[in-house]
Amino acid sequence: MKAVYALYTDPDAAQRAVNALRTEGVAERDIVVMSSEPFEEYEFSHRDKATWLHWIAGAGGLAGLIVGYLLTATTQQLWPLVTSGMPIVSTWPNIIIVFELTMLGAILATVVALLITASLPGRLSRLYDPAVTEGYILVGVDGPSEELAPRLDRALASVEGGQVKSIT
Amino acid sequence: MNRTSNNPLADDLVRPLFHTSVWFYGSVTVLASIVLCGAAAWGYQLWYGIGVAGINWPVFWGFYLTNFVFWIGISHAGTLISAILRLVNARWRRPVTRCAEVITVFALMIGAMFPVIHLGRPWLAFWLAPYPSAREIWPNFRSPLAWDFFAINTYLTGSLLFLLLPMIPDFALVRDRSTGLRKRIYGLLALGWQGTTKQWHRLEAGMQIMAIAIIPVAVSVHTIVSFDFSMATVPMWHSTIFGPYFVAGAIFSGIAALIIAMAALRRLLHLEAYLHPVHFENLGKLLLLMSLLWGYFVFAERLTVWYGNEHSEMAVFWATQRGEYAPLYWTMVICNFVIPLPILALRQLRTVAGTVVASFAVLIGMWLERFLIVVPSLARKPLSYTWGEYTPQPVEIILMVATFAAMILLYMLFSKFVPIISIWEMKVGNQPHPPVVTETEDELAGLWKARP
Amino acid sequence: MAHRWGMVVDLDRCTGCEACVTACHAENNIPTVGAAEAARGRAMHWIRVERYWEGEFPEARLTFRPVLCQQCDNAPCEAVCPTYASHQTDEGLNAQVYNRCIGTRYCANACMYNVRFFNFFHPQWEKPLQLQLNPDVSLRESGVMEKCTFCVQRIRAAKLEARAEARELVDGALQPACAQACPAGALVFGDLNDPESRVARLSESPRGTRLLEEYGAEPKITYLQRQGWHEPDIQ
Repeated sequence: MKAVYALYTDPDAAQRAVNALRTEGVAERDIVVMSSEPFEEYEFSHRDKATWLHWIAGAGGLAGLIVGYLLTATTQQLWPLVTSGMPIVSTWPNIIIVFELTMLGAILATVVALLITASLPGRLSRLYDPAVTEGYILVGVDGPSEELAPRLDRALASVEGGQVKSIT
Repeated sequence: MNRTSNNPLADDLVRPLFHTSVWFYGSVTVLASIVLCGAAAWGYQLWYGIGVAGINWPVFWGFYLTNFVFWIGISHAGTLISAILRLVNARWRRPVTRCAEVITVFALMIGAMFPVIHLGRPWLAFWLAPYPSAREIWPNFRSPLAWDFFAINTYLTGSLLFLLLPMIPDFALVRDRSTGLRKRIYGLLALGWQGTTKQWHRLEAGMQIMAIAIIPVAVSVHTIVSFDFSMATVPMWHSTIFGPYFVAGAIFSGIAALIIAMAALRRLLHLEAYLHPVHFENLGKLLLLMSLLWGYFVFAERLTVWYGNEHSEMAVFWATQRGEYAPLYWTMVICNFVIPLPILALRQLRTVAGTVVASFAVLIGMWLERFLIVVPSLARKPLSYTWGEYTPQPVEIILMVATFAAMILLYMLFSKFVPIISIWEMKVGNQPHPPVVTETEDELAGLWKARP
Repeated sequence: MAHRWGMVVDLDRCTGCEACVTACHAENNIPTVGAAEAARGRAMHWIRVERYWEGEFPEARLTFRPVLCQQCDNAPCEAVCPTYASHQTDEGLNAQVYNRCIGTRYCANACMYNVRFFNFFHPQWEKPLQLQLNPDVSLRESGVMEKCTFCVQRIRAAKLEARAEARELVDGALQPACAQACPAGALVFGDLNDPESRVARLSESPRGTRLLEEYGAEPKITYLQRQGWHEPDIQ
């Protein structure tokens, strides 16, 4: 198995390289693009919008809310101590704890979901090139089939400004 | 670093990580010794008892609580402002966000130490945490101090993550630029970041959600700090205005701290090309707004008390207005209002130097404000037989100075190990900008314009 | 029916002799902090006699008001404690559990009567006071809040004794140290739930007021106000 990639300085060139790979019939999920910034305005970065992350945050918040409610209401009843003539389960103050735990749940769920789905922490893939953090945009395919590989080299080189490299 | 780089931005911003001057070691040594003095002062207090501090009957809270409120207030500079600017997509935020968020994290850590330092038995502070114990007792969730515990921990967790997540791509950059042990350390910190489109999207989406979530948390934190006072039926504490009043004051002092930190970074790390006068101009306007808001709150609070003319409240009112606390009170008014207002309102004075002067005044004024909230009310409780006074003792002053040193030290160390300006976010903004001259209205509007 | 301990303070009878203060110190092992600390406001008197001057010389009048924990029903000190060190007992006592106290001192700030006292240092007694420590009362370590307990150790002992002898508590037989020591009989202690008790009857007196009643803490101590016997119209 080998891997092919090319480095571009210009995001427009990277876009054309991605398009060239598509024309060669590489599946969308096999095209790897790495960059040192998000390039939100380019089409190649639009493949993976995480719109569902909000729902994870919401679910985390809900979990935090339930934990907050149970924590306050049950512990107050476990040993019912009266203070300042307040009811044993004092809803008003408990709302504050519930609120904080709701937000904490939402934040933690977001971060955990973010890290897991972005495979962080993880190992560097063999495609990775330190030039990426210096501002190059890497477009490549990891492990293309034997007959596809040479065509990919050509496709990536056809875009001007690309430095094509391959790993065996 | 030997690589010929086509990345001058990154060269500029990671330079402090690779090059350290003698001055840095010198100042770290000085600051660290001050912090050690503070630690020794705390040890002394632990050994002999909290009585070595100036607190007494009836002023049971003094400098420690003042510093607690002050530092938690400072923490409202960073994450809150950064999150708001991120949500409104203010383009000028990019060089500002990280150096602001760092203030939040360190100020929170310092601020959260004070309630522990001030405890009579600080080794039992963990009893505030909810955990099943052999004592079969849980925290009293009706106590504002339990609310503090939850609010500060939530805010600290959120702010820390909010700061750390956008640092990952920059850690990856340092990893790829360094060798040896440094490469391994930053490699671990970068968590294997490669900058795939998927990772970028998750990061952007996550930061967006975090920014939304952290704003209400930040507001709640200082509201709850104000509840520490307003829940007690103590004259001039028991006020419904305290929540927003404290939040406004917190943002006020927070922006002042941010301006000072940015000016220091600009000068010491030679970031003139990144932290423009225009950033100080914009933050100066924000500071002006908060100064006006602060004046409004103080007036509303004072007028309500004066008009109500309730005698136990009036005792506190006159003690601060004309009595023994009046010098501090009027210094506060001058520092928070009289000095910053003209400096920040006049365009000619709203320069880097001008905003820094105003910010120092505001920090002094806001510290005094917290002191004037904590102490005079306790010294003038309803039964006049129990009136008292408070004089801070050396241990309290040393600890206070030590926390300022600790803040500067932590900030310096942070900027030595992490690029203090988010490199990847600067790239997105196509920085460095050509210096923006805000002569015309159009260009001024352009500063606020969202990216396409 | 549960007891509900309360007290009546007759301001007309109080002579300001401070016997109650001394008795309280002796009964409850309250440390003596020494002159220097006392001058800094660290003196601990679970009960104190407040002294107020009224009027201008030569018409000035000296008045006394003994102030101790008011054992409020809605005690503002209780809810603010994060560790339940301060809470309400079944018998209406405002209890302070020393072992739970971590020393936030919030309770003392929330109390508008300023009747809570803090151990700023480890407790000590001027010699030979250490020889008369009461074995029924625990000592409090540095960093802990303490306050009037209505001599809860005496209440417990009296209840045990009554139960052993299979009888009811007798009104007046059980007294906290301050009330017992008061030569003028200005302090009357008893069960407010017993309508026949002296304290219950006196607390209904038209002279009865509560200290800082406007704060709504519902204190269980009633102050019987002075009668205007030396007001001009009576002269």
